[in-house]
Order: sequence, then structure tokens, then C-alpha cells
Amino acid sequence: MGLLNPQNFVYGLSLALLVLIYLRSRSRPAIEVSSLMLFDEVPAPVASVRHVRIEPLFWLEMATLTALTLAIAGLYVMRPRTPGHGRIHALVFDLGAGMSAREGSGTRLDQARRDAMEIINQAPAGDEFSVIAYALEAQARHPQTANLADLHKALDDLAPMAVPARTVALRAALIRARGASEIELFADRPPAAAILADAASTARVNFHLVGSGDSNLAIVSLAPGIPGSTRGRAVIRNFSARPYPCELAIDLGNREEFHQTLMLAPREQVVVPFGPLKTGGVLHARILTPDAIDADNDRYAYAPSDGAARVLVLSPDAAVRDDIARVLLAVNANFQIETADPVKYPGGANASGANAKPLELAVMHDCYVPAAVAASTLLIYPPQLGKNLRYAAGIGISVNATLPSADIRSDAMGEARGIESLTLGATRIVAIPEWMDLIATATGPAHSSIPLAAIGRGAGGPVGVLAFDIRDHLLLAPDHLDALVLTVDLIKQLTAPRDILIVPTGADVSLPASGAARVTQPDASVRTVTADKWGRVRIRPLQAGRYSVESGGETTQVFANYYDATESDLGAKSQAEANAPAENAATASNAQSAGEVQPLVFILVALALLALTIESAILIGHAGRWGMRHV
Amino acid sequence: MLEARAFEPEFLRKLDRLVLGIKRARTVRAGQRALGRIQGLGIEPENFKAYAPGDDLRFLDWNAFARFDELMLRTYRVDRQVEVTALVDASASMGLPERDDKLGLALAIGASLAYIGMADNDAVRIGAFAMHRGAMKLDATPFHRRRESYLNFRPFVMSVKAGGETRLGAAVDQLLLQRRPAGTVVVISDFLVNESDVEDALKRLVAARHEVKVVHVMGEQESIAAYPSGLFRVRDAETGEVRETVLGPATAAAIRRKIEKIAVRVREICTMHAITYAQAVGAGNLESIIERELPRLGIVR
Repeated sequence: MGLLNPQNFVYGLSLALLVLIYLRSRSRPAIEVSSLMLFDEVPAPVASVRHVRIEPLFWLEMATLTALTLAIAGLYVMRPRTPGHGRIHALVFDLGAGMSAREGSGTRLDQARRDAMEIINQAPAGDEFSVIAYALEAQARHPQTANLADLHKALDDLAPMAVPARTVALRAALIRARGASEIELFADRPPAAAILADAASTARVNFHLVGSGDSNLAIVSLAPGIPGSTRGRAVIRNFSARPYPCELAIDLGNREEFHQTLMLAPREQVVVPFGPLKTGGVLHARILTPDAIDADNDRYAYAPSDGAARVLVLSPDAAVRDDIARVLLAVNANFQIETADPVKYPGGANASGANAKPLELAVMHDCYVPAAVAASTLLIYPPQLGKNLRYAAGIGISVNATLPSADIRSDAMGEARGIESLTLGATRIVAIPEWMDLIATATGPAHSSIPLAAIGRGAGGPVGVLAFDIRDHLLLAPDHLDALVLTVDLIKQLTAPRDILIVPTGADVSLPASGAARVTQPDASVRTVTADKWGRVRIRPLQAGRYSVESGGETTQVFANYYDATESDLGAKSQAEANAPAENAATASNAQSAGEVQPLVFILVALALLALTIESAILIGHAGRWGMRHV
Repeated sequence: MLEARAFEPEFLRKLDRLVLGIKRARTVRAGQRALGRIQGLGIEPENFKAYAPGDDLRFLDWNAFARFDELMLRTYRVDRQVEVTALVDASASMGLPERDDKLGLALAIGASLAYIGMADNDAVRIGAFAMHRGAMKLDATPFHRRRESYLNFRPFVMSVKAGGETRLGAAVDQLLLQRRPAGTVVVISDFLVNESDVEDALKRLVAARHEVKVVHVMGEQESIAAYPSGLFRVRDAETGEVRETVLGPATAAAIRRKIEKIAVRVREICTMHAITYAQAVGAGNLESIIERELPRLGIVR
């Protein structure tokens, strides 16, 4: 017996209110008379009381309120589980990258699948099962059913993802499983005790730990370096408790740049230098040694090309033009940079002659020159245009106001999260279109969130926006490295090849597309994605490797890298020991939930209704005897 | 407070012409046999008898000696003083309803009778009784005979407060324990008590050869059962017992019937024991009670 929410006993204050009403009624007008002898012949004295009177109406109301309070507080009894049919099971699977670890003849997910099948086969006829999976988020794969064929198919369709299994996703999955009387949780590492305890409050939770090996290698990072200048480096980590050989190969395009076998000490992490690369391009590092998880054995990086490209810099401030040119040259020394005052910039073919190469990048500071057409555009401190002038549809932004200062929010800077929070100068409030991704935001006077840096690929090509002013050599000031980092990051992304994208698995990727796009996934499966109203398709790579997105005759390669130190660490045994309390808690919760919770709400409400009915009958009787005035 | 009215000179002047209607000549009895009247000093001639040595020569009838040449003595009925006790019920019921001031009326009647009794130089006292915490409390003043002493009653009369239970039998027991000569006892009460207690008490007073007179005090409001209508908790002032009842016309009629029954029953008991019974209804009727009702019944003349 217990209570689901004892806090609801606050409703028991109504009992105190009832007692007050009772006492108040007892203190109703009293008359002191010379002798009750005079009332001997009065027809119907109600009752004669000296100290405590048994008042049926009071006790009936007390019973009613007590029953309702207990019902609200969730009084329940624990009943022995009814054996046999009718139970609902929820099969909850971890689909994180760790579940793809090979052990023996199959993966950890295969083992979990087998365990689940065994449970299904041993269950009495009539029991129903639902299938829920989680990794980045929870997903109900199959609603509850007793159809074995459907269940087998749902289990067969489960596939591990190259993403870590998040705790919030596990919580969400257990919440989705709340309707079940038993929850079968399959994962390769024990969850926190509190999570299981929460779930065990409503159902019996059986945790199935799958997998025991720890032989895994992973490429932690891959830095290409600067072609022809600096060396690249790859970081390799051995998660095993034993020494492990690692055959590492690094390719640039189709050409092998590095191939070596290393011996890594137990749980060692090594930095492997290579290069410098001769040219830019897509760099692919591979671990050729067989290990548990494949997803973290490949990693892609893009080595920037040092090819010559024309860049236009427009700013009314000559110092700013000079600062931007220096930054551009630092990113790519082969940039051909042209600078101009926007007022004097002729625009179009007049700018550099008819035979000039097209502009790769146009950087406009505190100005907007529609005539400056480039493959990509970077707007810095974009001005608030007049009534007759608007930003081009391909840019899509609008500027609403100017703030004298703004503070970068360090918690909302995405890739630039390492930047410390600091105060910038004048900042424009820019309305960012939905197809652009925010990189950083700021706070300002009377504004809680101002877009500070954003980038997106619109119909007119990639567009980047920096909302803050960079006058007074802001980019070169040592105290404002964050502004410089944001600027360099945007320039790199804007000048990167538009048909190549390197992203972490699980990230949302949006690409320009005309109509539907055909997406070929790393496992060679193909699916079609429809473009949204801004002409963009969004994909979320959940497998490590190369995705090919074809749309309108153009193909974009998306390389998805996976690495998660926690997920890739398959030392499940040691982790299980570390989380022994969790397992104990799970066991305890199992013991506690050995019975079945039987809420008494209906019984209590029925009692309350019965008491009210009796009370009504008594009142009707009183009314019939003495008249309505005295009831 | 009505009892203060009994000490106002204007009120007392109206009482000057009244005397108590009590029997002064008493028959001496031995058991059921009458032995004769008490003779002695007095002014009312009783009889003649022949002189015998030792007789008081002051009562020789010299006219008869001159006429008959025999020594004759004139005898007189004894001029007997009577002890009058006004016994007032001071229980809690006498204090309710407050507007009726039954206790004030009872004390005023008792004091008035005491003043009237003093006209004949009778020994008069006023007593008040009530049962407190199971013990009878009977307080009484000393006897006073002369009207000059009448104001000595005032502190006692003014100090009597209503409280406690009515136990007439217990009060009479305590009174008889004082072993005073038989006299006149005027019982003034509302008689809201068990009728057997009333009858028992009055019987014992009569048996002790007291001349008993009963004044039944009733309040005007109480007599007509003037209570507000509605559901009330009614509490007995003497016992504390509570009863919930619906007050209204029907209840008032029942109360009036009960009061009438009590009065009839007390009157029956008094009649049965040759006790003078008088009703005193309403504090506002004090003067008419003293001047008309009590003389009509012979309690005063």
C-alpha cells in the first residue's frame, strides 16, 4: 500500500475546513432557559448533548472528503501480479554507436535482438509488445502488438546509428514505455540509477546488459594542415585495456598520403603527423585494423585549396578594407584581393574588365552594393537600407536597428563555443532568414538575443553575415580574438567548395536544391528528400561516411564523421562496475515492483458517492420532518 | 433591580396599612387530641375563673367581686409572637429570563412581607436557598421585630444572586434543623422543580406545624414563551443540559401548556395540605400583587 503523490494531501485541508464548519454549527444561537422542564412537551427535540455529539452528517462528510483526498493522493495497494496473458511489454533498445560493436558472430544489437526474441517467445499468449529505440532521441518503432511477425520485422529493422546514445533520449524512451507493465531495456552500458528508479515507479524494469568486449580504436580528429606549408595530424585512441595494433591509412582524393601500422599502448592516445599535403581536397583517414566499431574508423577533413581566387572588399573605411584584406590573405595567401570604397565602386563588368575571372567572394562592410556579384557574399555590419533599396532576395536579410554595443553570448556560439564572452562595439540588429544557420548570438540593451553571426546557402550562393562593426582595427585587436575567429570561420566556410560538406553525424545539414533531392547514404541505400519553400533540403546523417545529394544535375558530397569518447569506449565491464549502484537500484526497483500497483481511485470515489447519497437521504428525511427551513 | 423597590419609602408607605394574615392563637395538641388554647398575657379576654392562691392579683376582676362578692380572675388569650420566615428560591432558574427578573420580584415580595410582619412586632427574617455543587446553601438574616430594623434586611436582599439548582426539599430540611418554634413560612419560588420535591418539602413544613404560604413567582415573558423563532440550542440554566430544538409557535404553545400544568399541580398540592397559594406574575405587577392579590388570598390583610 502506498501513495502515488503524497503532496496531494494538501487537499486534506478541506477536512480542517469541515471541522471548522462543524464547530461553527455547534456554536449556533443558544438560549439559556430557566428549566428544560418547560420544553418537555415540545414536539421534536433533535438531540440532547452534553459534550461530544455523534453527528451523522458530519461523519458522512468527513468520510467523503477523506476518500476524495486519498483518491487524489493516489492511494494504491500492491497486488501480486496476475500470471498469464494480458501484460504489456515495452522493448527498449539502445541504438547508439556502441551497439554496433562486433562481438563474436554479430553485433551487440544482434545479441539484444536475440534476447528480445527469447522474451517474446517465452511470453504467454496474449501478451503484447511494443518496440522503442533511442539514440539521439527516442522513437517508437512499433506500437504494442501481439503479432509475432510484425514484432520480428520491427526487430529486424533496428540498426545502430553512428551517434552517441543520449541520456535524455533514454529518459524519453522510458516515458514512452510508461503504459507497459514491464519494460525490457537493452543497452551496452548501465543507465543511471535515478532513471531506472523513475521508470520503476510505474512498471517493472528489466535491464539487459549486452556486450562485454572493449577492443576498439577510433580516430579522434583529423587536421589536414595547410597544403604545402604545415603538416597535418591525426589523433588515434586505443580504448582497449590491451595493447592494440593500428594500421592507419590517409588518402587525399584517390592518392594515398600516409600508411603506417602503429602499436598503441592500453588506452593510449597518439598524434600521428603526416604531410604536409601538396594540394587541397578531401582527406580521408582510415583505420584498417579490424576492431569493434567501424563508424569511428573513418574520418574526413577538407584541406583548403590554395588556388587563386578573386575577392572583392568594399568598405567606406579604408582601415577596415586593409584589415579585411590582411585576414583574407591569412586564410589563403593566393587570394587576389580588390578593395574599393562602395561609393566609387563601378560594379558589374566595369569593375575589372570583361575578361576578368568571376568573383569568388564579396566582402561588404557597412555597405550594400547589389552590383557586386560574387559566388559567395559576406556582409559585415550591414547597413539599414532606405525605403527604395532592399537586400537582394538571395541574401534575404533585413536590418532593423543599430545598438551602440552588444555582448557575445558564449552559450550560443555553436562551433565557436570556445570564445569567451565579451563586449563588442556598434552592432546591427539583423533579421536572419530561416534558411540561414545562426553561429553566434549576442545580448544588448533591451534585447535578450541578437543574431551576431550566421551563414547559409541561398539561391544566390553562400551568404554570411557578421552583425558587429569591425572599425578601429577590431579584427586585429588582441583582446578581440573572438571577433577574428568568427570572421575567419565564416570566410573559410564561404570559400570552401560548395559541393563538399564535412559534418559530424547527427547534425542537421541543409543544402540548396531544386525540387526533390536524391540522397545516397553510406550503406548505398537511396532516399528522396523534398525541398522546402526556400529551396533547401535538410538531411541528418546518422551513419558515418559519404552521403551524396543529387538535385537539379548538381551533386553535393556530405561527409559525416563520427567520434564520441564515451560511446566509443566499450569498456562496458569497468563501467558496469563503476555503475554498480545503478544496477543495484534497478534490482531493487524490480523487487519493489514485483507486485502490481492497483490504484484505489474508483473504490474511494465510490465510497465518497455512497456517503453523499446517505447524507442526501438523511437531509431529505429531515426536510420531510421539520420543513426545509431547518435542514 | 426590583428588590430595591422594596426599600423605597414611597412603596413602604403603601404597606403601612397592611398586616400579615397569620393565626396567632394556636391550639395545644397532644397527638390528635386538642388540649385547649394557650392562655396568658394578652389584651383579648378569654374567660373568667375563680381565684386560687398564687394567681396574679393584677387580673382580679374587682367589678365582679363588688357585684358577687367572689374573687374572680379575668383570663386573656395569650398575645403570641410569631416567627415569620420568607424563604426565597435563589436558584439559577429565578434569574431567567433576565427581563422577567423573577428573583427581584421574589425578593421584593419577601421583603414586603417582612415589613408587613414587623407591623405586629413579629420576628421576621428573610432566607434564600439554592443548591451549589451538591450542597444546599440556605442563607438567612437574623430575626428582626421592629420596623426600625427593617433596613437591616437591605444588604442581604441586595446581595442575593441567582445561581445553582432548586432543591426545595433540601432547603426545608436545613430550615427544620434549626429547631425554631413553629411559625409562618412563606415559600416564594418559581417551582420549576420536580413536583414530588415540592410536595415533600411542603408536607414536612406543615408537619412541623408551620403555617405555610406559597407564592408562585412567574415571569411575564416566560409565561407566554416569548422566544425567537428558529433552530436553537437550549441550555438549562441549572443543570447545563443542552437540547436542540426548533422554536416557533408550536413550541411556545407547548411551553405555555407546561407552565400551566406546573401551576395547577402546585396549587393542587397546596390545596391538599391547606396551604395558601398565590401567584405573582410579572415584575411590573409588584404593587398590585402586594396590595390586591395577596390580600385577596388572605396572606396579608
